Amino acid sequence: MSDDYSHLVGHRFPGGTVTVPGWVDRLWRDAVLADPPGAAVHPGLAYLAAVQGSGVTFQDIFDLAEATAESGPMFGEQTLTFERPLTTDTEYTVEGEITGVVRKHGKRAGTFDMLTFELRLRDAAGDLVATNANTFIFPRAAGGAA
Amino acid sequence: MRLSEVEVGTELAPFVVESVSAEKMKLMAALLRDPTPIHLDEEAVRRLGMGDRVVNQGPANQAYLVNMLLGFAGDPGGIRSVTVRFLGNVFAGDRVECHGRVTEVDADTGLVTVELEETVDGAPVMAGTAVVALPD
Repeated sequence: MSDDYSHLVGHRFPGGTVTVPGWVDRLWRDAVLADPPGAAVHPGLAYLAAVQGSGVTFQDIFDLAEATAESGPMFGEQTLTFERPLTTDTEYTVEGEITGVVRKHGKRAGTFDMLTFELRLRDAAGDLVATNANTFIFPRAAGGAA
Repeated sequence: MRLSEVEVGTELAPFVVESVSAEKMKLMAALLRDPTPIHLDEEAVRRLGMGDRVVNQGPANQAYLVNMLLGFAGDPGGIRSVTVRFLGNVFAGDRVECHGRVTEVDADTGLVTVELEETVDGAPVMAGTAVVALPD
């Protein structure tokens, strides 16, 4: 338990590779009511691809922040940035790290930490294709860890 | 849409989900490998005092906004960035409306900035901005 998790900034994830099969893109589009598939992966699916290829699970990130699923972690913000669309059945390398931890205090929300991590998808040549940044909110009881 | 057809204040064609489906949430849970029970089990939602309808996944709510942007850009390569803030829950049966409004047009680069809002019964559940490249 800590009052300061800023030491996590710079923590690198194991990384790995990810491929989005065409059938996964088709099912995703069905789930989110999108138009039928083409060559490009639905842009929203880049989030899932980045997380799946990062080598970490949400539970791993909760553990780093000394939080539990029961303590009510929430998604705060998400950014997807594209150099070009992802394509189905193409292997991408994923790398990433924690880029920020900020403690805040709100009248209604109480004390919470905002942890941001960034994941980058690169093609076989090493060129950046897409970046995914996510901010989790970790409620903290009485100013300490959740 | 083409760059010459937009200006600051242009409204995007809304994307509307008439009734969020609990069955689609099961498919989404499998794709996300997300075992969180509030997406699957109404009893779990009741135990948490969140009502009696299962909760839609955040990435699905985000994807509705992306669907609207795909309609605007006309080409998936036109979407350069999407930033969203998660402001509230969407429940099974909710009617979701996604809206967008152009706030900046850069004629030199062809990049258009769009303010995003997603609502249920007029209350915001997601907000953000996007940058879209439009053809001349």
